[in-house]
Amino acid sequence: MGMISVVTGRFLQAFLLLIAMSLIGFIGIHSVGNPVFNIVNIETATPEDIRRATVALGLDQPIWRQYLVFLDNVVSGNFGTSYIYHLPAFELVIAKLPATLELASVAMLIAAPFGTGLGLIAGRRRGTLLDRTVLRASVSALSIPSFWLAMMLILVGAILTGWFPSGGRGSTASFLGQDWSFLTANGLWHLVLPASALAIPNIALIARLSRSGTIEVENLDHTRFCRAKGLSPRRILLRHTLPNISVPIVTIIGLQFGGMLAFAVVVESIFSWPGVGKLLIDSIQLLDRPVVMATLTFIAVAFVALNALVDLFHAVLDPRVRLSSQR
Amino acid sequence: MKARILSVLKKRPHGPVMTLSKLLLTTYILLAVAAPVIAPQNPYDPLQIYGWEASSPPGTTGSGGYLYLLGTDGLGRDIASTILYGLRISLVVSIISSAAAALIGLTAGVSAAWFGKWVDVAIMRLVDLQLSLPTILIALIAIVTLGPGVDRIILALIIAQWATYARIARSVALSEANKPYMDAARLMRLPTSRIIFRHLLPNSIAPALTLIPIEVGHAVALEATLSFLGLGVPIDKPSLGSAVANGFQYLLTGQYWISLFPGLALFGLIASINFVGEDVRRSLDPRSKSL
Repeated sequence: MGMISVVTGRFLQAFLLLIAMSLIGFIGIHSVGNPVFNIVNIETATPEDIRRATVALGLDQPIWRQYLVFLDNVVSGNFGTSYIYHLPAFELVIAKLPATLELASVAMLIAAPFGTGLGLIAGRRRGTLLDRTVLRASVSALSIPSFWLAMMLILVGAILTGWFPSGGRGSTASFLGQDWSFLTANGLWHLVLPASALAIPNIALIARLSRSGTIEVENLDHTRFCRAKGLSPRRILLRHTLPNISVPIVTIIGLQFGGMLAFAVVVESIFSWPGVGKLLIDSIQLLDRPVVMATLTFIAVAFVALNALVDLFHAVLDPRVRLSSQR
Repeated sequence: MKARILSVLKKRPHGPVMTLSKLLLTTYILLAVAAPVIAPQNPYDPLQIYGWEASSPPGTTGSGGYLYLLGTDGLGRDIASTILYGLRISLVVSIISSAAAALIGLTAGVSAAWFGKWVDVAIMRLVDLQLSLPTILIALIAIVTLGPGVDRIILALIIAQWATYARIARSVALSEANKPYMDAARLMRLPTSRIIFRHLLPNSIAPALTLIPIEVGHAVALEATLSFLGLGVPIDKPSLGSAVANGFQYLLTGQYWISLFPGLALFGLIASINFVGEDVRRSLDPRSKSL
């Protein structure tokens, strides 16, 4: 019973969130500027041309009507046609998705083990020079503006040393009908800098979390018992402490993966990585309303779905979550 | 409360990093205040800018008779001066927006706790909605909706940040509302606004206030990111973020100083605010002392 109410409650919440999100996003996009002037030439167009373009884009309808049409289309997977590319907006987003997913996954594959490892070691040796260094480095790493970090990676890794390319995806190989960079050496090379830019703040975040978890668990009775039993510190750390701090770490990994989709906006623009984030910024600047809507909706849906999954996962692993929802 | 704040200022032992951060932050604030006096050039005044000296490397002496300590940008503006003036914009924008967000969030959170019922539901649903999305996404949506401009970006930052304060203020106010002194205020039939603003709010304010320094740091980073994406402060009066963005196109041709130095200044600013903010929060929150 408890589990079912958790699941339904969570999905209802996610659903309401999406409705609110689409409404806010729609109104937001609507007030940006008149997209008619993107498809007709301002200098040569007659009022008749402008009127026909307005009707063709459905912009003559009242705004609530446009929203309903939009909602109807969203449910049927139709976000309209891009004003610029003349392709279905949703298809454009999906076409850019593998690049973003690839970037975020590689970044998380770097960040999760590094962050957890650093946090475990720092928490184990609490108060030592190493611990203080990790803690301070993590506050500093979280203070670096993501765009500046990306630019400095380009400066050091590409311009000064020439080790890595400064942008683009490099050569790709086809797998499951999509192009992936990580399958070719050249593509992997192109991944290094943007993935590091996304990974570094997350290493810091995960390290802090696993450090405080480790400190907490190391003071519990069962760890003391292990120590009294004479287990080696390494075994205690990996077999007893790590499983006990894994729930919050998996949670933050899930949440941050969603956050990466949002932060990809910055990193992708800088590294000209042809993903969803770059598409969003380009479309905002070109006033390509259907694409902006499709992209924002997509990021929001992905984020909300990830959050819901993480919460459910949490409820499966941790009985206290189930209990608290029954009150 | 006052005693605790004083104890923070007085006797907390500091490591070298904390001393350095406090020193750095103080320097930043002094520099920002004194910018018009100490900056060699007014980067907003076209008459003081020499276009033919664009992209001069650090250490060049310009026609104005002063040294371009950190070089000039693509338009010939002295980078050191741009940083000093940009610092003012960054600080003013983030302090105003954080203060306003704290005020709005506190009022909303305390009202939610006091009135309960539908007011509580309406406010807290909105808070939940916002806190379940990344701040950068909220800020992006807000700024896309509002359009560019310094006033708009302050508004966007307020929209992005008020919810954090509201959630904390509500939970504190809920526990305060049941204390004897609140019963006394109610029994005295004080007007609701007086109870909220003179009794409940001042007593629920402390935990939310400790958030402000950290949130100012977030606001600086958010403003910089939006400006970098070309959605924030206009380019003719650059904040630190747009100063970095100005230099991006020159980075690939090796004129690193245009983006390096404003970025370093930005990083130092955010880092020192974060270190000091973390310290303030830790010393005012008795729970985290044990950790």
